[in-house]
Amino acid sequence: MLKYTIKRIFLFIPTVLIISFVIFFIIQLPEGDFVSSYVARMQAEGEVFTAQDVADLRTQYGIDQPWLVQYFNWMEKIITKGDFGYSFAYARPVWSVIMDRLVLTIIVSLTILIFTYLVSIPIGLYSALHQYSVGDYFFTALGFLGMATPNFLLAIILMYVSFKWTGDPLLGLFSTEMLQEGVHLYNFGEFLQRMIIPTIVIGTAGTAGIIRTVRGQMLDEQTKQYTLTARAKGLPEYVIVYKYCLRAVLNPVASGLAKALSNIFSGSTISAIVMNLSIQGPVLYAALKSQDMYLAGTILLVQAVLVVIGTLLSDLALAWLDPRIRFDRKG
Amino acid sequence: MNTIDTILQMKDLTIDIKIDEGTLNVVRGVQLDIKRNETLGLVGESGCGKSLTSKSILGINNKKCNSKGEILFQLNPEKSVDMLKLNPNGKAIKKIRGKEISMIFQEPLVAFSPLYTIGNQINECTRLHVTKDKVKSKALSIEMMEKVGIANASKRYDQYPHEFSGGMLQRAMIAMSLVSGPKLLIADEPTTALDVTIQAQILDLMNNLKKEMGMSILFITHDLGTVAKMCDRVAVMYLGKIVELAPVRSLYKTPLHPYTNGLLGSVHRIGTSREKRLYSIEGTVPLALNLPKGCGFYDRCPKKIKGICNQKQPELREKSEGHFVACFACEHEEAKHE
Repeated sequence: MLKYTIKRIFLFIPTVLIISFVIFFIIQLPEGDFVSSYVARMQAEGEVFTAQDVADLRTQYGIDQPWLVQYFNWMEKIITKGDFGYSFAYARPVWSVIMDRLVLTIIVSLTILIFTYLVSIPIGLYSALHQYSVGDYFFTALGFLGMATPNFLLAIILMYVSFKWTGDPLLGLFSTEMLQEGVHLYNFGEFLQRMIIPTIVIGTAGTAGIIRTVRGQMLDEQTKQYTLTARAKGLPEYVIVYKYCLRAVLNPVASGLAKALSNIFSGSTISAIVMNLSIQGPVLYAALKSQDMYLAGTILLVQAVLVVIGTLLSDLALAWLDPRIRFDRKG
Repeated sequence: MNTIDTILQMKDLTIDIKIDEGTLNVVRGVQLDIKRNETLGLVGESGCGKSLTSKSILGINNKKCNSKGEILFQLNPEKSVDMLKLNPNGKAIKKIRGKEISMIFQEPLVAFSPLYTIGNQINECTRLHVTKDKVKSKALSIEMMEKVGIANASKRYDQYPHEFSGGMLQRAMIAMSLVSGPKLLIADEPTTALDVTIQAQILDLMNNLKKEMGMSILFITHDLGTVAKMCDRVAVMYLGKIVELAPVRSLYKTPLHPYTNGLLGSVHRIGTSREKRLYSIEGTVPLALNLPKGCGFYDRCPKKIKGICNQKQPELREKSEGHFVACFACEHEEAKHE
């Protein structure tokens, strides 16, 4: 196992390098660059730019060189100095822009991740063990609704409901007072309250998916021969379900871990914009739109690294769950 | 017959399965008894209801199956229980499952959970039915593994099912089912999935253990060769009914029912010429839905008597000592002889 893990970590480096190259290549593909979109915006507001001004801006930002040179400069700084470049739009180093929202993003996303698993796994199990019962139909209907409703729409509906009932749409994660005074213990409750809508909104889509997976997998396991064997030897039903079936059911859930980890970092973009959440998703969206290439590139790169780490973690989890996937055992 | 000598008695067992198209009458009035220390063979084609019959003893059939009748199990000399009356999720039946009546299955490769070690799964049975003491039960489980011929048992105890071969897995399965010293072992085609040399080993093993531990076996198979090797008596099942029941010698020597004749005719024997074709029974088993009111074998029967066989169901009748058959044509022939 250890040998396998070390091997995977070594493979990690070339994987990330290749991903970084592809990311950079794609980001610079669209017509124009940050300067041209910046100039266009300024001109729309009535500013006048000469060709010389534009060229100066390009030199200043270092984007007058071919993209390959830009890429190698960027990578060199990342590797030697841990410098991820400069965000044109924020006029600050990229890393500080990311760090701004990192803590909040992680809090929000982890909450959502835990919420998703805590809600969906028990419901999925219940649905499978009480197949075709009223509860099963109820949760199935709810799950499909959750899966089919676009998150942003659900966000708008919930904000409307909250506004109707409490007079506060609970927009954003902090109230005006909290922004002025900072988050302390005494207003932490309010922060939690403001987490409710985002958690439900962003959580439901994933929840619905996992409920279906868990339900289907559990029903499948229940028909397998080993379940019959276990029953024939007189095991109580709860041992069959929780010792044997559940472990097999968690397999696809663990496979989903890879994606979940990168979602923690990026957050849900459109819903975050609608609900005015200050998490990473909207930053990436804005950076791509304004062609703020180093910022966009860095966010995507971090996400890619997280996907790779997530894949490793989910593979390790799978190997723990299922002995057949363990690698260095001699049969 | 003394009831103490009978360990299990099925009385008019019927099993129905409700499906969208109607009700399948899969098992239709089975009368069968298994004696102490006896191996009873239950033979029939796929889908004739033999597996369902055996599973209904333990109450582990699918929820869609509806069993009626009685299955009396002699729990001890004083007391017998009707297995069908026990709640399939209740405590009483769980004390019988795996302890008094064990079952081994057709495909050893999928009969164990792939996620736990063999030892874990065998020991689970030991701890459930024999002793709660961790050290003792592990020792007992390993001892049982050795007894069924698993070499290096204490090392193999910690291995997973995918590290075992099919034959070894079936041995492990037998160890698991016998560790509690059951009175009855139900073996549902235990050698079908194994290759021939392994089959013989497993059958020998089962015979030896049966003698050593003193239990009865309900041996389900479609392989008549195995039956000859294993069984004391044989019940032939067709379309949910027992059509012939006889001591094994008597059945091979003088098979009465045309279906049994067909089955025996379709076994290849060494020494017959290559040109001689194997006998095959014409037609296929009808679906157990909207069954005809006559004999289930009517359409495929070479001896059918129109006007009798398609009008009534034949009942099991004793022809010679212990040899029962359900067939109008057989009775007819007998009458002609006299």
